[in-house]
Amino acid sequence: MFDLKGFGDQLLAGTMVTIELALASLVVGLCLAILAATARLSDNWFARNIALAYTSVIRGIPELLTVLIIYFGSATAIMAVARLFGYDEYIEISPFVAGVIALGLTFGAYASEVFRGAIIAIPKGQREAGLTIGMSPLKIFWRITLPQVWRLALPGLGNLFLVLLKDTALISVVGLHDLMRKTTEAVSYSKEPFLFYSAAAFIYLALTILTMVFIHFMEKRNSRWGDK
Amino acid sequence: MDFNVIIQYFPRLLEGAMTTLELVVVSGLIGSLLALPLGLARHSHRPWLYALPYAYIFFFRGTPLLVQIFLVYYGLAQFEFVRESALWPYLREPYWCAIIAFSLNTAAYTAEILRGALGNVPRGEIEAAKTIGMRRVMLYRRIMLPRAFGMIMPAYGNEVILMLKSSALASTITLLDLTGTARTIIARTYTPIEIFLAAGFIYLMLSLIIIQFFRFLEKRSNRHLVSTR
Amino acid sequence: MPENSVICLKNIHKSFGDLKVLKGIDLQAHEHDVISIIGSSGSGKSTFLRCINLLETPTEGEIWITGEKLKLARNKKGDLDASDPRQLAAMRARVGFVFQNFNLWPHKTLLENIIEGPTQVLGKSKDEAIAYAEQLLRRVGLEERKDFYPSQISGGQQQRVAITRTLAMDPQLILFDEPTSALDPELVGEVLGVMRDLAGEGRTMLIVTHEMQFAREVSNKVMFLHQGQVEEFGHPDQVFGNPTSERCREFISSVY
Repeated sequence: MFDLKGFGDQLLAGTMVTIELALASLVVGLCLAILAATARLSDNWFARNIALAYTSVIRGIPELLTVLIIYFGSATAIMAVARLFGYDEYIEISPFVAGVIALGLTFGAYASEVFRGAIIAIPKGQREAGLTIGMSPLKIFWRITLPQVWRLALPGLGNLFLVLLKDTALISVVGLHDLMRKTTEAVSYSKEPFLFYSAAAFIYLALTILTMVFIHFMEKRNSRWGDK
Repeated sequence: MDFNVIIQYFPRLLEGAMTTLELVVVSGLIGSLLALPLGLARHSHRPWLYALPYAYIFFFRGTPLLVQIFLVYYGLAQFEFVRESALWPYLREPYWCAIIAFSLNTAAYTAEILRGALGNVPRGEIEAAKTIGMRRVMLYRRIMLPRAFGMIMPAYGNEVILMLKSSALASTITLLDLTGTARTIIARTYTPIEIFLAAGFIYLMLSLIIIQFFRFLEKRSNRHLVSTR
Repeated sequence: MPENSVICLKNIHKSFGDLKVLKGIDLQAHEHDVISIIGSSGSGKSTFLRCINLLETPTEGEIWITGEKLKLARNKKGDLDASDPRQLAAMRARVGFVFQNFNLWPHKTLLENIIEGPTQVLGKSKDEAIAYAEQLLRRVGLEERKDFYPSQISGGQQQRVAITRTLAMDPQLILFDEPTSALDPELVGEVLGVMRDLAGEGRTMLIVTHEMQFAREVSNKVMFLHQGQVEEFGHPDQVFGNPTSERCREFISSVY
């Protein structure tokens, strides 16, 4: 499609890795967000405060530091545990896995606030109507609350995904061969940093635009049953 | 956990934190100066006025900050005329490159916040100003901007926190900010967990201070909104 | 006898903190009873109705539904809550509830709103539930709107669908919580019409309402609540025509 002095294929391969990383982190982050949001709203003191600590700490430290802590820290932690069981080998976790964990944690912390707001915004009567026909609380959450939460949360989640998409570039720092890393490789061969970093910028921009179009489409689809 | 390492290197981490703060404050000031004209132009309804700020804001909000930093630090050096210009002594310094990238980046976000606030000034207040004969410049200077600044505070406070966190990227171009310092310490001591957690703790404290500072500012700038509660 | 009544409530109390909203209310309804509950706002009539299926947890009392006693246990806040969630869900499935503001689920079409309970709670097949729902919708004149979303129809139509949603569960008793209070005046009639038909079929109903004329025509018993207590209870002709309580007399003359 685009040649870029022979590095086009490389950049495309990196773009694919970036997209995979973003989507995998999104899935992990959404699960964490729903868990944390329901924990924040639960009657259980312990669950509430664990979730509060998680969201405040993650939102207060740099994403890059989260990435570094997960990448270097978890390897050290796993090795320490392994040593207890008699293994004494050098263990490393893959940059991709570290990236999914770090970005998932970050996305989850911010998204849990979006979910919490959305859950609170759903009128109490919606739940009560489910109760009066004998639905169980779990079923009500799954069939009544969650589908409505999606619609309210979608704009917020869309913005957070745009942030996540850009944050994937951070994982190149720990060696993932994503778009950013591939670009840096192209730069070191070609000695044309401006050209290649500009190309990378425009690929990221294109991904952003694609995502925005998709979000817009989803919002349209959702507004079927929306306000008059 | 080896707490001795933390205690031993804590002063060095604090030095790094000072660099981090400096980066945030300097680029925050430059960024908000840039944001003012950008936001005003973006608020306009005339295409020739808002088109360029729109593209600028879209580019800086739609691409990773890391790319922007690399574009300034590595990218500019590709050009002969840059290397021969009077600015080269600055443009080859990681410190100034970080300041430039951060300023341009935060200017885009801040301009968008300003545009939102200008759009939220109640129509009635603008009409009231027009009925006493205010013209455009005076309207903006006396009514719109002061009102917008009052509304901006919570969102701008958030932006400064985000800037504090993104300033960690300075470490990727060899700057010894808080994250950069932590990474050099770890290269020597091989104690990533201890040192990174200590750095994380300092970042948390810095964000708390910034949050408090903006709460205070918000209270001051909204003195006219007497609480009824 | 709680065993042979559709519903039997004994000594229902409810407090919110220090505020005593219900101070010991008894009520028994037999099959085909249509009982209207009236009273000024703040008299506790809605709270009482919500206590019946535990949307509100009573502070004291006993609840029997179709001869079965609801198992209650004290919760942390000091109220009585169901000790057996399965029994509660099963009982709720037998008691219909119509809300003041309909509470249709906005993300489901009218038909989906109606079949949710039958398919998810009663375990009916989808086809069977749809066939029954369509039949019920035809009766309230909304069959053609079945694929609309709640936001696309009027308040009166929404309330008719909400009633249909309740009927689809084949309840043995239906509770109405001011079903016309959120409606524009011109839409009240269509909802009352549907309710009148249900009463005519011999359904057992408890109705909290401000529509005095309707209460007088449709119900066979009327309960007047004042400050959380039953002030007057009897045949509508007696309650409306010749109340014994002074407060009831004042209330009736103020609203008529």
